[in-house]
Amino acid sequence: MQMINEHRRRQLMNLMAERGWDSILLYGNAWRKDPFRSLVNFNFSGDHALARLPRSGEIAVTFSDPWDAENAYGTLQPDFEKAFAGGASAIAGLEFMEERFVAACGTLPISATADVEELRRVKTAEEIGYIKQACDLADRGYQHFANVIEPGMREFELVAEVEAFLKTDGAEDNFMLIASGGTEVVGMKPPTERKFQKGDSVTTELTPQVNGYYAQICRTLVLGDPSPEQNKAFEIFSEAQCAAQDLIKPGVTAADAARAQNDVFRKYGYGDYTDAKYTRVRGHCLGLYPDETPHILEDVDYVLKKDMVVIAHPNTYLPLSGYMVFGDTLLITETGNTRLNKTEKKLFTK
Amino acid sequence: MKRGLITWDKAELPPSVFEARLAKARKALAAQDLPALLVYSDVWRSTEGRHLTNYMPYWNRSLIVIPREQAPVLLCGLSPRVYPWIKSVTIFDEIRPASKLVPTLLQLCSERGWTRLGVLDLPRLPHEIYSPLAASNLGISDVKLELTDEAEVAMHRHAEQMAHEILTVELPKGVGLTDYQFSGRLERAFRRAGAEDLVLLFGTGNSAPRPACGGMLGDKYSVAVALEYRGHWARVTRGLPL
Repeated sequence: MQMINEHRRRQLMNLMAERGWDSILLYGNAWRKDPFRSLVNFNFSGDHALARLPRSGEIAVTFSDPWDAENAYGTLQPDFEKAFAGGASAIAGLEFMEERFVAACGTLPISATADVEELRRVKTAEEIGYIKQACDLADRGYQHFANVIEPGMREFELVAEVEAFLKTDGAEDNFMLIASGGTEVVGMKPPTERKFQKGDSVTTELTPQVNGYYAQICRTLVLGDPSPEQNKAFEIFSEAQCAAQDLIKPGVTAADAARAQNDVFRKYGYGDYTDAKYTRVRGHCLGLYPDETPHILEDVDYVLKKDMVVIAHPNTYLPLSGYMVFGDTLLITETGNTRLNKTEKKLFTK
Repeated sequence: MKRGLITWDKAELPPSVFEARLAKARKALAAQDLPALLVYSDVWRSTEGRHLTNYMPYWNRSLIVIPREQAPVLLCGLSPRVYPWIKSVTIFDEIRPASKLVPTLLQLCSERGWTRLGVLDLPRLPHEIYSPLAASNLGISDVKLELTDEAEVAMHRHAEQMAHEILTVELPKGVGLTDYQFSGRLERAFRRAGAEDLVLLFGTGNSAPRPACGGMLGDKYSVAVALEYRGHWARVTRGLPL
C-alpha cells in the first residue's frame, strides 16, 4: 500500500488553488486519526500526527511519538506545539486540536475539515477495495460471533472472542457495541458481565478496520426460538432496511433514505420509535472514520453520490422486541447500490 | 476504542476514593475562588474525568462539571438510553443530554448563576470547545490538579501486573505465528481478563515497534503492550527470549 494517497494530494492541491491557500495541514490525534490518514495512510500509535502540504506539493509529516517518526520516516516533535510553528492557511481537523496547538499557529487558520470530509466521501477504487476487505472481515466476524455465543457466556467474553478473531484476520481496529436481554433493552453499549440466557435477543454492530477503512454489519441473534413478537419486529426491520437499500442511488438524499426506513415503522404503527428518544441515526457513511457524515436522518438533505459507501440500519427500540439492529454496508453505484456484506439477511438464532 | 469491560468494582475503588478526589478539586477551586470546574472527556482523553468520577466514554465527547458546593453533573454526548448504565459505573446522579456541548454548559452556568468557571488544563481543551467558551461572557481560568493518589497508583500497578503475567505466559507461544495471529491470541487473553483497551506494537529488530502488519514472528521478537484496566493504563514491553 502506498502511504501517500496521491489522489488526495491532487484533490488538496486543487482545493488550495481554488481557495487561494498557501498551505494546508492535516491533523490527527489518537481518536480522530482520519484527517491525517486521508493524505498519509500511516497508522500512528502515538498521540498526535500532522501532515503539512504546501503549494509545492511536497508533504512533510511530524509525529509526537518517536516510534511513529522512525517507522514513517517523519520528523519527531515531542513538544508538539512546535509542529505548528509558521501556521498555515487552513487545517483539516482544526476542531479536534488542542487550543495550545491552535495558539502556536499565530494567526487563526481557516478550518478545512468540511472541505476535506467532502473530498473523502466519494471513494477511489483503491479505497473501495479496502472497504470490501473490511466487509468480508465483518461477515466472517459475525459468523464467528454466531458460532461461539452460548447461554452462560458473559458479554465481555464474547467480545474478547470476536476481537481475537478479527485481529487474527488482520483487522487494524474494530468498533463494536452489544446488548442482550428482552424488551427492557433500549440500546447498545460496551459489553458488561451479564451472562447470556435462553430467549435473549443479542444485538451487535461490528465495524472492523482494514488498511484504515471501516465497514460495518448489524445483526440480531435470538438464543433459542424467537418469540412471535421478535419475529414480527424483525420483519419490520427487514422491510425498513430493504426500503432504504432499494432506494439508495445517486441523486437520492440522506433524508429520503431515512424517510424510507421510518415510513415502514409508521406503516405498522411504530412511528414514535423513529425519533431521538429511541434511536440515533438510520445509517451513516463509512471510510477512515466509522461514523462519517452525512448521517442518514430525515433532516439531512445531502445528495448521495456514486462511489460513496453508506450503511443503512434502522436500528431502534420497539416494544415488541426491545432494541433491535439490522444493517449492511452499501456501495453506491451508477444506477443503484451494491450490498457489500454477504451475511444472510435474517434473524439469527442459536 | 474502548469496547472491553467497563465497570466499577466498589471494593477495588470505594466511593470514598472519589469523594477525596472531588474534595481536592474543590479545594483547588476555593483557592482560585471559582464556583465550578470543567473537565473535558472523550474516547481517548478520559484519564482526568475517570480519575474524578470513574466516567470512561466508549464513544463521543462529554463535559464533566464539578461544582464547589453541589454534586457533579455530566453533560453527555451519548444518548439518554445509556444513562442508566453510565450511572451504574460512575458517581453521577445527574446526567444531561448535550448534543451541543458548549450551549448546554452555558445553560447550566446560567441556571446556577456562575459567571466564572475553572477549566482543568485549559490549553488542552479542543478548539471546538475552547473557541465558543472563550467568546462567551463566562470568565474561564486554567486549573491544575495533581491526579495521583495511592488508589491511582495501585490500579496502575494492577494493570502492569496483568500485562506482565499474560505476556510471560503468551510470549513464547508467538513463535512461528504471524503478528496478526499473535495479536488475536493476546486480545483474547487480555480481554477475557477484563482489559478495557489494548494497543499492541511488535518489534523484530528491523524497525521501531509498530502495529501488526502480517509479519512472521521468529524466535526473537518483542511486544509493547499498552493496556487499559478499568481506565488505568500500563505500558509494558517484553522481548523473547524472556
